[in-house]
Amino acid sequence: MTKLRTSVSAFTLTAAAAIGVAGSILPAFANDKLVELSNSEENWPMTGKTYKAQNYSKATQINAENVKGLRPAWAFSTGVLHGHEGTPLVIGDKMYVHGAFPNPTFALDLNEPGKILWQHKPKQAPTARAVACCDVVNRGLAYWPGDGKTGARILKTQLDGHIVALDADTGAEVWKMENSDIKVGSTLTIAPYVIKDTVLVGSSGAELGVRGYVTAYDVKTGAQKWRAYATGPDDEVKLAKDFNSKNPHYGQFGLGTNKTWEGDAWKIGGGTNWGWYAYDPDTNLFYYGSGNPAPWNETMRPGDNKWTMTIWGRDIDTGEAKFGYQKTPHDEWDYAGVNVMMLSEQKDKTGKLRKLLTHPDRNGIVYTLDREDGTLISADKLDDTVNWVKQVDLKTGVPVRDPEFATRMDHKATEICPSAMGYHNQGHDSYDPEKQRFYMGINHICMDWEPFMLPYRAGQFFVGATLWMYPGPKGDRQNYEGLGQIKSYDAINNKYDWEKMERFSVWGGTLATAGNIVFYGTLDGFIKARDTRTGDLLWKYRLPSGVIGHPMTYTHKGVQYVAIYYGVGGWPGVGLVFDLNDPTAGLGAVGAFKNLANYTQMGGGVQVFSLNGKNPYDDVNVGEWTGKQGG
Amino acid sequence: MIRISTARRALTGAALLAAPFAASQSASAAEPLKVCASKIEAPYSTEKGDGLENRIANVVAKAMGREIEFVWFDRAAIYLVRDGLDKNLCDVVFGVDSDDERVLATKPIYRTGYVYVTKSEGGPELGSNWKGLEKTDATRFAVRFSTPAELILKEAGKYEDNVSYGLSLVNFQDKRNKYTQVEAGKLVSEVVNGDADAAIAFAPDVARYVKGASTPLKMTMIEDDFARSDGLKIPLHFDQSIGVRKDDEKLRAELDAAIAKAKPEIDRALSDEGVPVLPPNA
Repeated sequence: MTKLRTSVSAFTLTAAAAIGVAGSILPAFANDKLVELSNSEENWPMTGKTYKAQNYSKATQINAENVKGLRPAWAFSTGVLHGHEGTPLVIGDKMYVHGAFPNPTFALDLNEPGKILWQHKPKQAPTARAVACCDVVNRGLAYWPGDGKTGARILKTQLDGHIVALDADTGAEVWKMENSDIKVGSTLTIAPYVIKDTVLVGSSGAELGVRGYVTAYDVKTGAQKWRAYATGPDDEVKLAKDFNSKNPHYGQFGLGTNKTWEGDAWKIGGGTNWGWYAYDPDTNLFYYGSGNPAPWNETMRPGDNKWTMTIWGRDIDTGEAKFGYQKTPHDEWDYAGVNVMMLSEQKDKTGKLRKLLTHPDRNGIVYTLDREDGTLISADKLDDTVNWVKQVDLKTGVPVRDPEFATRMDHKATEICPSAMGYHNQGHDSYDPEKQRFYMGINHICMDWEPFMLPYRAGQFFVGATLWMYPGPKGDRQNYEGLGQIKSYDAINNKYDWEKMERFSVWGGTLATAGNIVFYGTLDGFIKARDTRTGDLLWKYRLPSGVIGHPMTYTHKGVQYVAIYYGVGGWPGVGLVFDLNDPTAGLGAVGAFKNLANYTQMGGGVQVFSLNGKNPYDDVNVGEWTGKQGG
Repeated sequence: MIRISTARRALTGAALLAAPFAASQSASAAEPLKVCASKIEAPYSTEKGDGLENRIANVVAKAMGREIEFVWFDRAAIYLVRDGLDKNLCDVVFGVDSDDERVLATKPIYRTGYVYVTKSEGGPELGSNWKGLEKTDATRFAVRFSTPAELILKEAGKYEDNVSYGLSLVNFQDKRNKYTQVEAGKLVSEVVNGDADAAIAFAPDVARYVKGASTPLKMTMIEDDFARSDGLKIPLHFDQSIGVRKDDEKLRAELDAAIAKAKPEIDRALSDEGVPVLPPNA
C-alpha cells in the first residue's frame, strides 16, 4: 500500500475495492466530485473547506489592502439562542445553516440571500438537553454531492444522538439512525464528515461513562459499515495488523483493556470524539482525536488508559487504525484530545518533503506528525506558560511531567497551565500553504485544582475537586481579561512569528486567505481581520452576539463574501447562558468568564460581509413582490 | 479566586481557635442543643423536620433537658462536619459512623448494615451474602455512588453494566465537581416499578420507603463478610453515633448519658421507621 499510494493506479485500485464493498457502479464519483467542489472558491462544502481541513481560501478579492472596506452584506437569524459552533456550508447557489439544540437546519438561497428554500426542524426528547454537559451546541453539517443515481444529501447530527440524512434539494428526511443513546448518557454535538459514500460520526458524553467510538454509515442507506471503539480489545478498537509498526514505542497490541486499565474499567472508559476530522485520499486514512478517559476522578482509573487521548489515522474503508499516538497517558486534567487535525505538505528540517498532520491539543502542546505512519516530528508548547509538562520527548513520544502541577490527592495544585478548558479547545484553525504557517486561536487560562475527600456514614465518601479558572500569566487577573491569544505558528522551525492578546478566548478558530488575512471571531462579539504576515489588526466589526464558531468565505457571482456564526455559549458561555454565578461551576468556567456577560448576550445567526457590503439586493428589484402570479 | 480559597482556610483556622470557647458555651444546660441538619437528606433529615434523625435528635435533647435548635443547611449531610461542626455553626451531627476520625463520637445509638431490597414475590434470590450477587442472573441494581454497595457491584462484575443506569437515576447530572447522589427513595421506587431487580443500600437509607411501598418488598441483611479482591475488608455493618467536635468531651458525656436514658424512645423511632437493627458490636 505504501508504495502505491501516490500513484494514480493506487486510487483506481481503492475504488475497485470499494465497488465490491458498496455494490455501487461508480463509488469514487461522489468523492471526486466533493474534492472538485472543495477546490473551487465558490464552495465551502465541508468544515475546513477541503479534506486537508486548512480553513484556507485562495480568494484574493478581499485582501489586506482593502479589508477595511468590508461591510455587512446580509444576515440571517437561526432563531436559536444557544451557542453556535462550526461554520455554514456553501455549495453553488445554496448556503446550509445549522443551529444549536433543537438543531434546526436551513437551506438559504444565495441569489436572494436569507430566503429559506427549505428547513428541517426535528422534534427531540427534552431530556437530551439535560444530558449535554457544556451548553447544547452543534458543530455543523456535512454534504454528499450525489453520484448521478442518488441525489445530493445534507448530513446532520442531533443532540439526542441521531444522525440524519436530508435531501439537499428539499430537506426531506431520507434516513435517520440512532448513533448514541441518551439513555446511557451519550449525545451528539459533532459535525458529521463525508468521505466517498461513507459518513463518519463520533460520540459525546465521556464524563458520563460512555465508551467512545467512531462509526461509519452508508451515506445512501444509513446502514452501519463499521464501528471502532477508543478502548477495549484490539478487534473492537480495530487495529490493523501493522498498527504502529513504524513507532512500536507508542504501544501496539493488547493495551486497550486491563493492561492500561483496572479490571473492566475500559468498558466505561470514555475516549469519545466530538471534534473534527480530516482525510487524505492518497493514504486513504482519516484523522481525528479521541477524548478524555472516564471517570473524571483519575484515582479511580490507574494506568495509561489507552486509547483515550489519541491521534488516530484510520483507513476509511475498513476503519482499521494504521497508527495511534497517545498524547496524554493517564489524563489528570480533562485535556480531551479531540481538537482539529490540519494536513499540510512541508519539508522537514532535513529538507525532505513530508505529508504532515498538525494538531493543537487541549493539553497545551501543538503536535506535528508524519501522517503516513504517525511519526512525531514536533511537539511545541502553544504558549511558553504551559507548565504541567516540561517537554515532550520526541523519541519516545512521552510527555515529561512536572509533579507540582499534577492533580493528585493531598496536593492543591495552583496555577496549572493550561486549565481544564485547554490552551486550545474545539476551535477549527487554519493553515496558509503558501506561507506555511498555522493561525491559531488560543485560550490563555490557568487553574487551581483542590482535591478533597469527604467521608460520610456507612462507608460512603465523596472524592471531588474544586476548580478555579483565571487568566494565564499574560492576562489581567484583577479584571479577568486577557483570556485569549491569536498567533502565527511555524511547525517546522518550532517558532511563532507573532502573537496578540485578546480580552477573551479565541474559541471558534480562524480562517486564512491568500489575501494575506486571517479572520476570526471573539467571544465578546467581534469578527476581526489581521495581516497574516505581521498580526496587525486591519478591520473589525461588532456582531449581535459573541462568537464560538469559525469564519468561512465563498465567492458568489463574482463577489467574495466572508460569513461567520454569532451566538455566544459553549463551555466558556455556560455561566452566561444558564445564568450561573458560582465561580467554580462549569468546572471553573463561570469564574473565568464572569465578565463576558458585560460584553455580549445570547442570540444566534449568520452574518455575511463583502467589500462595500455588495450583495444581490443592490439591485432593488431582487426579491421584490411583483404582484399576483398569472394575474 | 486564590484569595477566596485562602480566606476559606483562614476561616477554618479561626474556627479551630474558637472551639474551646464554643465548648464551654455548649456546656451550659440553659443553652439549646445546636444540631447541624441538612434540609435535603431524606429519610434522615428534611426541611420539615420529619426525618428519622430529626426525631432522634428531639428525643435526645429532651433527655438532656435542653431545647433543640436545628441549624439548617441547604446542602447534603455529607458537608455537615466540614461546613457546620468544624466552623462552630452548630455543635452536634447525628448520623456518623462510630469510628469517624473527624469527630468525637458518642457510644453507638444503633447498629445496622447494608441490605438487599427485592420484591417479596418474584424478586431474585440473592441470599444473605454479597456473593449472592455473583451468582444471580439479575442484571439491574440500584445503589448509591461511592458506597460499599457500589464496591459489591464491582467485585461481583456487575458494575460496568450498571454505570449508565446508575447515572440515569440522577438524570445524568454532571458529577465532575459536585456531590451528586441518588435519592434514597429512588432506590426503592426503582425496585417497585421493576426497573431495578434489586437495590443494595444501607438499611436506614431505605427502610421508610420499603415500609411504605405499594408493592410488598423485603429487606435482607447482608452478612458482614466482604473484602475487595486485594484483601481489604470492607465493612457492611456500622455503628451509628452522634458526633461532636474533637475537644468537646463534656458534650459527648452529656449525650452518652442522654442516649442511655432515651434508649426506649430511640428504639421506638427505629422500629417505627422499619430499620432492622443488629446487636451492638462486641
